[in-house]
Amino acid sequence: MLDIKNLHVAVGGKEILKGLTLSIQPGQVHAIMGPNGSGKSTLSYVLAGRAGYDITGGSITYNGEDLTALKPEERAAKGVFLAMQYPVEIPGVTTMTFLKTALNSQRRARGEADLDAIGVLKLVRAKAKTLNVSEDMLKRPLNVGFSGGEKKRLEILQMSVFEPKLAVLDETDSGLDIDALRVVAEGVNALRDPSRAMLVITHYQRLLDYIVPDRIHVLAGGRIVAEGGKELALELEAKGYEHIIKVPA
Amino acid sequence: MSIAAETKSQVAEIGEKYKYGFVTDIEMDMAPKGLSEDTVRFISAKKGEPEWMLEWRLGAFRRWLTMKEPDWARVHYPKIDYQNSYYYAAPKNTPLKQSLDEVDPKLLETYKKLGIPLHEQMALAGVAVDAVFDSVSVATTFKDKLNEAGVIFCPISEAIRDYPDLVKQYLGTVVPVTDNFFATLNSAVFSDGTFVYVPKGVRCPMELSTYFRINASETGQFERTLIIADEGSFVSYLEGCTAPKRDENQLHAAVVELVTLDNAEIKYSTVQNWYPGDENGLGGIFNFVTKRGDCRGKKSKISWTQVETGSAITWKYPSCILRGDESVGEFYSIAIANNYQQADTGTKMIHLGANTRSRIISKGISAGKAQNTYRGLVSVYGKAKNARNYTQCDSLLIGGDCGAHTVPYIESRNSTARIEHEATTSKIAEDQLFYCLQRGIPQDEAVSLIVNGFCREVLQQLPMEFAVEAQKLVGISLEGSVG
Amino acid sequence: MTGITALGLPEARRNEAAAIFRARGVPHRRVEDWKYSDLRSALGEAGVGAGQAELHTLHLPAGIETFDLAGTNPPDWVREYFGQADRNTMSAASLSLAAGGTAFRVPKGLVIAEPLKFEFAGAGHVRGLLVLEDGASLTLVEGVTVERFRNAGLEIVLGENARLEHVRVSPNAGEAVMVEEVSVRIAQRGQYRAHFAAFGSKLSRMEVEVALEGEGAEAHLSGVALLDGKRHSDVTTHVIHRTGNTHSTQLFKHVAGGNARAVYQGKVTVARGANGSDSNQSAKALLLGENAEADLKPELEIFADDVKCAHGAAVGDLDAESLFYLQARGIPEAEARGLLLQAFLEDAVAQILNTDQRELVRTELLTALKAIA
Repeated sequence: MLDIKNLHVAVGGKEILKGLTLSIQPGQVHAIMGPNGSGKSTLSYVLAGRAGYDITGGSITYNGEDLTALKPEERAAKGVFLAMQYPVEIPGVTTMTFLKTALNSQRRARGEADLDAIGVLKLVRAKAKTLNVSEDMLKRPLNVGFSGGEKKRLEILQMSVFEPKLAVLDETDSGLDIDALRVVAEGVNALRDPSRAMLVITHYQRLLDYIVPDRIHVLAGGRIVAEGGKELALELEAKGYEHIIKVPA
Repeated sequence: MSIAAETKSQVAEIGEKYKYGFVTDIEMDMAPKGLSEDTVRFISAKKGEPEWMLEWRLGAFRRWLTMKEPDWARVHYPKIDYQNSYYYAAPKNTPLKQSLDEVDPKLLETYKKLGIPLHEQMALAGVAVDAVFDSVSVATTFKDKLNEAGVIFCPISEAIRDYPDLVKQYLGTVVPVTDNFFATLNSAVFSDGTFVYVPKGVRCPMELSTYFRINASETGQFERTLIIADEGSFVSYLEGCTAPKRDENQLHAAVVELVTLDNAEIKYSTVQNWYPGDENGLGGIFNFVTKRGDCRGKKSKISWTQVETGSAITWKYPSCILRGDESVGEFYSIAIANNYQQADTGTKMIHLGANTRSRIISKGISAGKAQNTYRGLVSVYGKAKNARNYTQCDSLLIGGDCGAHTVPYIESRNSTARIEHEATTSKIAEDQLFYCLQRGIPQDEAVSLIVNGFCREVLQQLPMEFAVEAQKLVGISLEGSVG
Repeated sequence: MTGITALGLPEARRNEAAAIFRARGVPHRRVEDWKYSDLRSALGEAGVGAGQAELHTLHLPAGIETFDLAGTNPPDWVREYFGQADRNTMSAASLSLAAGGTAFRVPKGLVIAEPLKFEFAGAGHVRGLLVLEDGASLTLVEGVTVERFRNAGLEIVLGENARLEHVRVSPNAGEAVMVEEVSVRIAQRGQYRAHFAAFGSKLSRMEVEVALEGEGAEAHLSGVALLDGKRHSDVTTHVIHRTGNTHSTQLFKHVAGGNARAVYQGKVTVARGANGSDSNQSAKALLLGENAEADLKPELEIFADDVKCAHGAAVGDLDAESLFYLQARGIPEAEARGLLLQAFLEDAVAQILNTDQRELVRTELLTALKAIA
């Protein structure tokens, strides 16, 4: 589904990704681990199409299409979802209003009819229940005054509502305690599907106890420097990044 | 040679002799260009006004001649040539269209974007009444309901003839003839406007809107509105509409006077979308309005809500005089200035009585090369014990070429009064925009979403039908402003 | 016109200032900026006159170079920096009418521990100039002598990384009409901290204009006004963020009793392209008694979008509950009021870094509070 070949990305003139290659098939869950500054967030922003992240070499193919030619909202309509590390606040815009606007924008782009207010409400409520997102959170302005855990749960709720084909989770575990982590992980696991691929980006191995990946890639100095199965995570945990990374950053 | 003399001589050339020097044989639709006492008389005569009204106008006109145009606002405009305008034009007798198919498709597209209901679209576009489904019955039921309740709602020219005592009692008592340059001009040459009187204890059964006024579609240059809410009554009045208003008349100088007696309440909402001129700011409308509410009665309340976008230059400060003890004044405003527009708007809350309260929420949005200024005055006089004011002014800047300015005057002469004022400035953060884009919301819609969120508190004050249209208007006004 | 060749100014400059003052005249209440301070009315027939006031140096720390502005052959640094500011009317007046004053220069890198102390004295017009070169650091304690009328113009130039703390305490000055304009320019990473404690006079106007001209420049202004009787105090500030990544704060507290009038006008301008600028303003007033008045006008003029600017203003009275609480604990009402007023003014006073000066201001306030409350 996703084919990244020798990707070079520069941010503010400085090269961050220095030839990254990665492939992921539908139904799979891949984890990307790496020390700080390795380029993890850069990778997630480039996949989502954020301005300021310039592709200086290589390619990204999504379901046979050149992903880099599409605007962020076009990628979203085609099923790309990025759960952000720091979800943004939008004062005055309720969570519900945001969900409805986004969902219908995506549907319109795909040539589908809009869902009316009642339809969206039903859909969202059902998904909200499983994720422990309260009615109150749905009525409050998006992310304003939400705790870290609430923000992350809301990201997963959005993933559940939009039903993406490729979900990129950027450090979804950052700032969460064990209980919050469990709820979020359960939410993510519930969304596993043979037609869906997930890229779980994380610094710590802990999340991967709950969201068990099929494959782990270690990102350091802008490149994938190691790959393996889920055991690789335990090895990293025991020995640290330095041990695994043979190529200096 | 003065204008009147010039016309007289022209007319004499044609070989006729007429009382005021105007041709009356042929049905004349317009007074000749220029502004003189004769113009004032012409207008008064055309309206069939009683002598006292003409005298009132003439007094205003003579006063206007001695006044100087104000120049302190932050707006810059080319000098207005007062003699180079028409001061009276009869409602247009343009032949009515038979269906929407005959209407300019671009205009229809705008109406659609704004979500304006079909029958209203037809009325706005000048489609003949009998071709509009249901509008006749709608209008009739409306009138019946009002009559039943005893509410008077009619054009001001009608009120001058049919309810002279009421008009005499209140006209010019909230905005005196001498108040300011544009109000004085308006007092001399006002041509139309709304009159509302709500009797004691009556809650007006429906929202009154200019749309339902008898000669609805054309907004005059110099509108004069007078609304009186008698003891214990309530009325909600909607002015304007979201449809773009195009007008050859550059200058609009309206006057609105509101009066509330004991325990009465007036809610006055305005949604204006004047033609802003092209992207280079040419041809836009100058909108200078004097709006004032006098809370005369105890526990009375006047609330102003406005969404303004469009005009090339806006100069308006809806105000409340909180005279009656425990009276309340509110001002909620969204002012959008884009391209080359200049807006200088705000409010004055004058606390005279005891235990009076005022609340000001102003949201200013600047984009393009526009300049948006909030100018407010909260003045607490010596006898205004326990007066309370809360003001929140927020500015949103879109792009680095526009300006947002806040000029609040806070004057207190009573030690028990409490006044609080806060102002913030912000922009649409790139990460907020990216977040929306990533979730599939295209750029212009994302801007609209974020800005409507910014304006939420004010939008919530609008009557429902206006609120929905206003939100769409906000989005349209800012199309293309980012990126 | 007296003293055309005085002050070492080129005649053209002097004439220019004179022309500006002539055109505008003595400010009065119909001039927007002087709405709450009718100078023309306070001065009456006498007008601004052409008297000469003086700048008396009370303590000159070693290392500071001075120059008598009445002298001839000004050094380069005076020539370069003196006589720039006259955007406001009264500064144009002092620049065209003053015949003397003093200029001070703190050389590059010199960090001076003891404060420079001076005061403007006498009636009439006078000028001053203070230049801190790159890396210099100084505390300026400005005293204020009472006089029927004085119009003083002080220019301050801060070089890169220079630091100045300016404390000015103006006493209760009865029938005096006192006007002072301070104009400050700050280069990269320079810092200006100022505190103005005012006890009022018949008309007292303190105008401060600060231009943040280099990245990293900062200005922190604070002040207190404690007025009684018929006293008046007007602090009008204008902070201009000319470039990005500059920072300013303002905190002004006012207490007015009797028939006094406390005025604060604070304008913050952020120029186009000055992204990353940060400005915060807070002005509060408490009124005691039936006839006192407070007029606050915090103004924002923003031409750049990537900025953080906020301001707040509030007028109110002493919290009745707090007052009752103190009384219930045995503190007599007058004393309780004094305590609460002191607490109200404290955070503005706490802005003063110099310990001696901070204590001085606190003491002056306490004394005056005993009389008012």
